[in-house]
Amino acid sequence: MIEDIASICGTRLGPGTLYGAIARLEQQGWIEPLPPKERRRPYRITAEGARVLRAKLTTLRQFTKAGLQRLESL
Amino acid sequence: MNNRLAHLLVRLYPRSWRERYGAEFEALLHTGRGGLRTSANVAWSALHEHVFPTPGLKIEQSQFRSWCVRAPWAMFGLAPLFLLAGAYFVACFILWSGWEIFLPGTNTPFVPIDGLANFYFQVGRLIYFSAPILIGWAIGLVAGRQRLKALWPAVGWILIALIGGTAQVHASRTAVLSGIGHIRMGFALGPSVHGIPDGLFHALVILSLTVLPYLIWRLQKTHFVSS
Repeated sequence: MIEDIASICGTRLGPGTLYGAIARLEQQGWIEPLPPKERRRPYRITAEGARVLRAKLTTLRQFTKAGLQRLESL
Repeated sequence: MNNRLAHLLVRLYPRSWRERYGAEFEALLHTGRGGLRTSANVAWSALHEHVFPTPGLKIEQSQFRSWCVRAPWAMFGLAPLFLLAGAYFVACFILWSGWEIFLPGTNTPFVPIDGLANFYFQVGRLIYFSAPILIGWAIGLVAGRQRLKALWPAVGWILIALIGGTAQVHASRTAVLSGIGHIRMGFALGPSVHGIPDGLFHALVILSLTVLPYLIWRLQKTHFVSS
C-alpha cells in the first residue's frame, strides 16, 4: 500500500502514518478487515466508505475543474 | 526492519491500540524498510496516539483512569498543587544555593551577573516560570487522554494560573539572625496596570497558554467527528 500511494502521489507514507490512517478509517466504518493472511491483514472498503470517497472525489473534481478554469482565464 | 526493533517500536503504542493493530503492524514493520526515518515516524505516530487516541477504540481501564474518575479533585486539584510546590521548592533552592555559592557577600541574589553563575540562576528561573505552564499542559493532556469532562481540569488550570500569576519570591540576608540568606515566597496581586492587577494579568496569560492546546485539541476533535 505504501508503494502504491508513493506511485500515485509521489509521497512515501511512513508506516506509523499509514496505520494511524487505517485505524481511523476502520473506526469510522469506512474500511473493514478481511481474514488475516499469515501475520498480515488485508482491508477492503465498505459500502459507506465507497459512498464517502465518491462524494469527496466529486467535490475534488469540481474544485480542480473550477481552479483550472480560473487559472486559464488569467 | 529488525524484529527486535519492530517489537520495541510497537510497544510505544497504547495497549488498546496494540491489542487491535499490534500484530499486523509489527508484521508490516518487519517486512518494510528500516532506518532512522521509519523509526522516528513510528515513534511520533505512537506519541500522537497517546495524545489523540483513535476515536472508537476502547480506552484502557487502568488504575490511573480509575483515579481520574473516582477522585478528580485529587488528580486535577491536589496533584498539580503538589507538583507546583515541588517545582517552586527546587527553583528557590537553586536561587538560595546560587546566592550562597556565587554571591556570598551580597544582600540579595537579584543582581546582574555573568558566566556560569548566570547560567545557574537561569536554570532556576526556567523551572520557576515554566512550571505552571508545563503542569497546565499536563492537566490538559490527562483530561484529553482520559476523555474527561472539562470541569475538574478547569479547576486545576485556574488554581495553577492564580498561584503562578500571583507568586512572588523575596530574598533577604538580614531577615534571619544567622545571616545565611533567607528566601520566602508570597502571593500578591501587585500593582494595577490599566485597572487590572499585575498578578491577575499574569494569571490570565498562564491560563490562556495552558488551556489553548486543550481547546485546539477539542476543536480538532469536533471537526473530525463532524466531517
